[in-house]
Amino acid sequence: MKERDPSLKLRRRFSRRALLVGAGQAGLFGLLAWRLRQLQIMESSEYRLLSDENRVNRQLTAPLRGAIYDRFGVAVAEDKENLRVIVIPAYCKNLAATLTAISGIVPVSAADRDRIMRAVRRQSRYLPILVTEGLSWRQFALLNVLAPQFPGVRTDRASYRHYSHGSSTAHVVGYVGMAGKGEVDEDPVMRIPGFRIGKTGIEKGFDRELRGRAGSISYEVDAHGRIMRELGSNASEPGKDVVLALDHELQALALDRLASQRRGSLVALDCTTGDVLVMVSTPSFDPNEIAFKGDAGKWKALVTSPDEPLNNRAAAGLYPPGSTFKVVNALAGLTAGVITPDERITCRGGYFFGNHFFHCWRTHGPISLHDAIKSSCDVYFYETAHRLGIDRLAVTGRALGLGHAYENELAGQKRGVMPDTAWKRATLGAPWYAGETISCGIGQGYVLATPLELAVVSARIASGKAIEPRFVRPQGSSARPPLAPLPIDPVHLQLVRDGMSAVVNEKGGTATRSVLSIPGMPGVLMAGKTGTAQAFGHGVAHHFTGWEAQPHALFIAFAPVDAPRYAVACVVEHGGYGAHAAAPIVHDVMTELLLRDPLAKPAFAASNQAEAPSAFADAGVQR
Amino acid sequence: MSMLFANGSDRPQLKLSKKLLLLNWPFLFLITAITAVGVAALYSVAGGSLEPWASRHVVRFCLGLALIYVVVLVDIRWWMRAAYPFYLGVLVLLALVPLIGVENGGAQRWLGFGEYSFQPSEIMKIALVLALARYYQWLPPEKVWRPDAMLPPLVMVGLPTVLALAQPDLGTAALFGIVGCGIMFLAGVSWVYFIGAVVGIIAVLPHLWERLHDYQKDRVLTLIDPQRDPLGSGYHILQSKIAIGSGGLTGKGFMQGTQAQLNFLPEKHTDFIFTMFAEEMGFIGAVALLALYLLTLMFIIYMALRCRSTFARLVAAGMGLCLFTYVFINVAMVTGLVPVVGVPLPLVSYGGTSMLTMMVGLGFVLNAQVNRQARIRREEFGLLW
Repeated sequence: MKERDPSLKLRRRFSRRALLVGAGQAGLFGLLAWRLRQLQIMESSEYRLLSDENRVNRQLTAPLRGAIYDRFGVAVAEDKENLRVIVIPAYCKNLAATLTAISGIVPVSAADRDRIMRAVRRQSRYLPILVTEGLSWRQFALLNVLAPQFPGVRTDRASYRHYSHGSSTAHVVGYVGMAGKGEVDEDPVMRIPGFRIGKTGIEKGFDRELRGRAGSISYEVDAHGRIMRELGSNASEPGKDVVLALDHELQALALDRLASQRRGSLVALDCTTGDVLVMVSTPSFDPNEIAFKGDAGKWKALVTSPDEPLNNRAAAGLYPPGSTFKVVNALAGLTAGVITPDERITCRGGYFFGNHFFHCWRTHGPISLHDAIKSSCDVYFYETAHRLGIDRLAVTGRALGLGHAYENELAGQKRGVMPDTAWKRATLGAPWYAGETISCGIGQGYVLATPLELAVVSARIASGKAIEPRFVRPQGSSARPPLAPLPIDPVHLQLVRDGMSAVVNEKGGTATRSVLSIPGMPGVLMAGKTGTAQAFGHGVAHHFTGWEAQPHALFIAFAPVDAPRYAVACVVEHGGYGAHAAAPIVHDVMTELLLRDPLAKPAFAASNQAEAPSAFADAGVQR
Repeated sequence: MSMLFANGSDRPQLKLSKKLLLLNWPFLFLITAITAVGVAALYSVAGGSLEPWASRHVVRFCLGLALIYVVVLVDIRWWMRAAYPFYLGVLVLLALVPLIGVENGGAQRWLGFGEYSFQPSEIMKIALVLALARYYQWLPPEKVWRPDAMLPPLVMVGLPTVLALAQPDLGTAALFGIVGCGIMFLAGVSWVYFIGAVVGIIAVLPHLWERLHDYQKDRVLTLIDPQRDPLGSGYHILQSKIAIGSGGLTGKGFMQGTQAQLNFLPEKHTDFIFTMFAEEMGFIGAVALLALYLLTLMFIIYMALRCRSTFARLVAAGMGLCLFTYVFINVAMVTGLVPVVGVPLPLVSYGGTSMLTMMVGLGFVLNAQVNRQARIRREEFGLLW
C-alpha cells in the first residue's frame, strides 16, 4: 500500500536522484582536480618558465668600447662619459611641468619635448625616457642636488665615442654608428638600444675586439614594467684596446700640408716593418659629428659632397700610377734580362707601335736605365715593356705589392689592378693586345694602384723585403715572423734605388727641386719617382676643362737613401705635374719624419691590448 | 509574530534555543573554514594587508552569519508563503536593470540605492530556488510527470535566464539554467524531458551563438585556443594558467605568488582569486580547498535527503546546486576549461552581494535542516500566497 503512495515514490525518486547529483558533483570536482594536476604537476615546469619570463626583465648593459691609441699611446678614439637626464613619467606629478622646470638647468628643445610626450603615450609609464644627453658636469651635479624637487627625473652615466684628433685620424680610425640592417650579427650587444658598432676603418676592421662583451642586470618587474627589485647582474666586459702604428702628430702635419690641395692622399710607411705611420686623405671630416648626436644635415652634406670626404683615398682611391710605375717596369726588365744597366735605348720623342704613336714628354736621345729613371723617359720604358710582355711585367708588379690584397685590419681598402693576359680574359673576356702592354709600361692603360700600394712599392724597393702594411702594433711577445726577401736580385734593386736617388739629387732629375736639406742632417737624402698620370684613358671622349682636365700628380719616395727607414707615397688628384704638386708635399712630410724620427722612440703597449690576428681573412678588402 | 514562528508540525513548537541547537554546527564550521581561506587569500592579494579587502570580507561574513540566523529562525512555512511574491519582486528588479542599472565593465548588472548597489541577479538565484521548490510542494505528486505541469517551472527558469542573457551575463544565465533544471530533475521530472532538452539545446546553439556579443564570442574562441590572441582576450586565461601551473605541487608560498603580486593576474581579488590561491598554495592547497567545498556539498545532499517535505528537500538541494555551480564554473574558468564568464568563487571572492546571497542560501539549507521534520499541508497555501 505504501508502495503506491505517490508522495513516497517521489521521495524515493528524490533520494536516488540526489545521490546521482552528488555523484555527478563529486565527478566534476574530480575533473577539476585532474585539470589542476595537469597544470600544476604535468606542465608545471613549462608554466614556471613562462612565469619567470613574465616577471624577470633582463636588461643588457653595454660594454665599454676599447680605446684606439696611436703608436705613442695617445688615445685617438675612446669612450667618454656621457652624462644624461632621463625621466620616468609614472613618478612625475606633471610631466610637462617637470620638463619646464628642468629646462632651467638643461635646455630641453621643443623637438625633445615632442619626442618625450609622444613616447609617454606609446609605452608604459614606468619605462625611462631619455630627455637629453651630453650634460656638462655642472648641469649633472646641479640636477643631482635638486633631484628631490623633480620626482621622476633621474641622471645616468652612459658613454659616447670621442675622437680626440677628429679629422686628422678620421679615415684610418673610422667611426662608429648604429648597426644597419645587414650589420646585425648574433652578438647579444646588438640588442642594446642605441648600441654603436664600427662602421669604417679600424673601428670596423677591429670591431669584434673593440666591442667587448655585454653584461646584464635582471630585474623583477610587475605587469606594468615597473622595476620591483634587482635580482642579479653580470658585469660587462670592456673591449680590448688597439694600438695603432700611426703617429697622430705626423698625421696632423701631413693632413695640414695636403690640405693645400682639393683632393689627395698620402701614406708613409716604416720601410723595415711596414708600420703605417701616416695615412691621410683630403678632404677629411670630423667623426665626432657623425658618431654622437648625429646631425642629419651634416651627414647629408658629407655623403653628397662631390669631393667625397668620407672616402679614404689613401686606401680606396684607385689611380693610374703613371711614371711611378717605371721603377716596377725597370725591375721587371732587369729580372727578365731584357735590359741591362749599360744598354742605351734611343728616344726620338716617341715610339711607333703598329700604326700608333706613343709620345714621350721630350726627346731624350740615346738613354741608359739610370738616366731613363732620372728624367722619366717614356720611350725607354715603352721598349722595355714591349720586350717583356705584360705577363712578365705583372709578375714583378705583384712581387712589389701591386694588385694583391693586404691582410690587415683596415676596413674599406680597395685593391689595385696589375693586369696580365689572364686578368683581361677573366674580367673583360677579351684577348690581350700587344699595344696595350706599351701604355702599361708607363703606368697607364689598365694599371691601377692605391696610394697605399704605391707606398708599399717604394718600401719594398727600399728595403728589398716583402713589406706588408700594418696598422696595428703587435702585442708585446707576439712579434711577427721576419719579412721574406723579395724575389728580385739585390743588385737590380740597388740600380733602381740609384736611379730614384738621381730623380731628386742629380742634375736633370725630375724632382730636384724637392731635394732634402735638413738642418743638422747633412747628407740625409731622399730617393723618389715622380708620376703624372692622365686621369682618363686614351680614346675616351672626355670634355673636362679646367681643374678636372689636369692629370693626377704622384710621387713615391724613401729616405734616407743609404739606409732607408721611411717610404712615402702621395697622390694629388688633378694636381698637374707630380714634380710640382706631389713631390713638394712628400719633401715636407719626409723632412718632418726624419726630424721627429718616430721609429727611434719607444712605442706604447696597452695593458688590455687586442691581439693582432695573423690572418684577418681580408677583413676590409673589397674586390 | 505567531504567524512567523508558528510551527504547524506534529511536534511541539521548537524553542529558539532548541532551534540553535538543531543548527548543524559542523556545517557552519566548514563554511567558516572556506571563508577563512578567502580572508587569507585577500590578505595576500593586498600585499600582506587587511585593507582594503580582507577586513571587509570578515565583516561581511559576520553580517552573513547574522542573516543565516534570521533565515533559520523564520518558520519554513512562512518562507514558502513568501516564495512567489519574493520571486516576482526580484524578477521586476531584474527587468529594471537594463532601464535604470549602472554600467560596469561592459555589462549592466547593478542597481544603485544611494551609495549602495547590488545585483538583482544574485538575489534571483535564491528566489528561483524558493519558487521552484514551492511549485513542486504545491504540485500533487501524481502530476509531476505530466507535460503541462512542466510549463510553470520552465517559465520561472526561462524569464530570469533571458533577462540575464540580455544584460549580458552569460555566467548567471548558465547558473539559472543549471540550477533550474537540477531542481526539476530532483523533483522527479521524467528523464525523457532532459534528454529532449539536451537535443533541443544542441539544435538552438547556433542561433544562440548569433545572439552572443562579440566579446562573448571572443571568450569562447580564445578558450578553444588561448594563444589566438595572447595580449587580448586570451591574456586572462593564459596568465591564469601560468599562475596556477607555476604554483606546482606545493606552491610558491603564502604571499609569494609572483603572478598575482606583480599584477599579471586580472581581477585577482574577485573572479581569479582561486588562481592566486593555487599559485601560492600549489596543487595540495587547491585540492584541499576543493575538498572543503565538496565536503560542504555532500553535507547539503545528506541534509536534503533527511528532510520530510518536498519544499525543504528541494530548497536544500537547490542551494547546494547553486553553490556547486558557482564553484565549478569559477574553477573551470580560471583553469581554462570554460570561457571567462565572470562568476565569483563563493565565500572566497571579494564581493558583498555575492557573499550575502551565498550566506542566505546556506541559511535556507540550515532552515531546511532545522525544519526537516516539518509537515507542510498543501491545503494551507493559496496559488500565490
